Amino acid sequence: MASSLTASLNPASSPDMAKRAELSAIDASTRAPALYFLGSSVLWLLVGTLFALIASYKLHTPEFLGDVEWLTFGRARTLHLNAVIYGWASNAAFAVALWLMARLARAELRHVGLLFIAAAFWNLGVTVGMVGIAIGDSTSIEWLEFPTYATPILFVAYALVGAWAMITFRFGRAKHIYVSQWYLLAALFWFPWLYSVAQIMLLFEPTRGTVQGLVNWWFAHNVLGLWFTPIGLAAIYYFLPKVLGKPVHSYYLSVLGFWSLAIFYNWAGVHHLIGGPVPVWVQTAGIAASFMMVVPVIVTGLNQHLTLVGAAAALKYSPTLRFIVFGGVNYTLTSIAGSLMAMRSWAEITHFTHYTVAHAHHGMYAFFTMVMFGSVYYILPRILLKEWPSAKLISLHFWATAGGITLYVIAMSVAGIAQGLAMNTLPAGADGQPGSPVAFMVIVADMIKYLEIRTIAGVIISIGHIAFAVNFTWMLVQPRKAGATEPTLFRNAPDLEAAR
Amino acid sequence: MSSDKSNLPPHVPAEKHQRAEQAGANDESIQKVHAILLREKSEPSEGFTPMPLFLLGFISAMIFVCSVYVVHYRGDFDPLVYDERFDAEAAKSAASGPKELTPEQILASGKRLYQTCAACHQATGLGVAGVYPPLAASEWVTGSEERLIRVLIHGLGGPIQVKGNTYNGAMPAFGKIPGGGYNWSEEKIAHVLSYIRHDWGNDASFITKEKVTEVLKAEGGRAKAWTQDELAPFAQ
Repeated sequence: MASSLTASLNPASSPDMAKRAELSAIDASTRAPALYFLGSSVLWLLVGTLFALIASYKLHTPEFLGDVEWLTFGRARTLHLNAVIYGWASNAAFAVALWLMARLARAELRHVGLLFIAAAFWNLGVTVGMVGIAIGDSTSIEWLEFPTYATPILFVAYALVGAWAMITFRFGRAKHIYVSQWYLLAALFWFPWLYSVAQIMLLFEPTRGTVQGLVNWWFAHNVLGLWFTPIGLAAIYYFLPKVLGKPVHSYYLSVLGFWSLAIFYNWAGVHHLIGGPVPVWVQTAGIAASFMMVVPVIVTGLNQHLTLVGAAAALKYSPTLRFIVFGGVNYTLTSIAGSLMAMRSWAEITHFTHYTVAHAHHGMYAFFTMVMFGSVYYILPRILLKEWPSAKLISLHFWATAGGITLYVIAMSVAGIAQGLAMNTLPAGADGQPGSPVAFMVIVADMIKYLEIRTIAGVIISIGHIAFAVNFTWMLVQPRKAGATEPTLFRNAPDLEAAR
Repeated sequence: MSSDKSNLPPHVPAEKHQRAEQAGANDESIQKVHAILLREKSEPSEGFTPMPLFLLGFISAMIFVCSVYVVHYRGDFDPLVYDERFDAEAAKSAASGPKELTPEQILASGKRLYQTCAACHQATGLGVAGVYPPLAASEWVTGSEERLIRVLIHGLGGPIQVKGNTYNGAMPAFGKIPGGGYNWSEEKIAHVLSYIRHDWGNDASFITKEKVTEVLKAEGGRAKAWTQDELAPFAQ
């Protein structure tokens, strides 16, 4: 404790000065590509938010923009999905993955010009795909709506990013492979495997019949579980101990969590086809794998929780920690909910209802997106060597997004259950049971109030995104202050060394 | 941490090297530029707390439960099985022996078929005054099987007395007879007749497929609809 006190008063007396100097060089090497990826991710986040609001508003007020051909619900919703998945989330994931990989492997990024080209190609691909959807060229396969002329551009971009992360790992000076790196390496292999297999089997050489549905849900579920989830967990495993200055609770739990995810997740997507025309043993295997996903979730959640225990007070000061912990907690919650949704009796109610929508946003937003926000709050000051201009905007960002998504998930879950129960009410006597069937239009009308709450939640979330974008841009354009060395925290931390 | 040392020139003792680093880093300008890096905590490391024992029990229990689940709902690993309630034994015996329907299944099937009849005799079984006779509490329905089966197979024309009222409609032929419009199987006819003998307060015996076949055979190639008088011999 005494040594850490002197170190905090006079940083230069810190024993690992050499390491700090090395980190400085590594961060500098990641600056250009990371900024490109992060900047475009923020732009796509705003675009995706706009389409989300349009789509959400249309659901309870169908006449809104009803006669604009390229903004019909089918296109606006699809544009929202693809903007946030391939524009926001994947761009942010690339930036975070490259930065983490360089730091953890202890290697400068080489030839960053090529990564710059990769970023340009990726964003070109997403733009082409978005325009393609808007003009009506969507493939109409969920999560893969980008027309086939956009895909090769994305593939080239991805190949460069993936290869660069591998090369960085290969040239690293670190002898030890940290748990975050396992997840990053795995995700970098899993994503091209998923994306290329799905593209080939659905668009270039389509399989026939219900196998298409099987491949589609294998892809759509795995892109969450084997691409975004590992990147998000890698970020949590890095930033949680980093900000707290504590080791991760247990290496053994890390190993168990990683391998059980790797083994079971790949099967889980089939639970979207419960009751569908798919051989029943495939469904059963998918359900069993979904149950088994409780193991990595509990193990990982326990590991992270036990790392945080005793240091939770830092949540008051550190923006990064607050976003990361919110994301981590919601990873556990959404995953447990996902396993429950695989139960046949529960799926009978929630399948094909708003509940699924709530669940998708719970995972993709409350977990992944919040973790990415936290990561950006940590990474950007280090690559720009500037501080965040406004703690108030960070605070607004956190409370608006956290509050908005909580309201969203609760409203849509309740809506989904009500909708499912109403739709399952059988006509009198159909199976010997008395019942009073609810007319379909009555159910539709009942949903309107929930859909309006959803739009309100969307507006609240949008306020958070605008605060984030303003702070981000402000930080980019503000001049570097010569004397400023204080981190931007929610309030002054008692511990001088409290990192962001 | 051995990885730290690998970074240093081999012949300089670690303490000396660090002092040299400090001297450089103490320069005020460098300190300010690197302030963000200097204040952050060291790179994350891993603790080696052993796994809690209850996790082992929990994971074993999960594996056990999921294995039982897979075995129970495996659908014989048959690509053509789509129902999780599939039971290989039951499927085998069902495929080999003739299918025996339960009374409930017969009535359910008959009720489905009755939708055709309901156009005239109404879902209530009360018919339409003067044209279509009622089936509820009708002596024609709950009475003689022979007569009822013939009405359905060949149809009925001309006036008919039911429960003291006269009706004059035209009952079409439902059986497999020359020129018949519906050509229902004997089984269908048995089901729908069993149904009308059991709904709306009626409570007469079921009519079997075999009985329908017997009547159809007895009448040979008859194609004409019956009249009330022609059916009189079958009233008992």
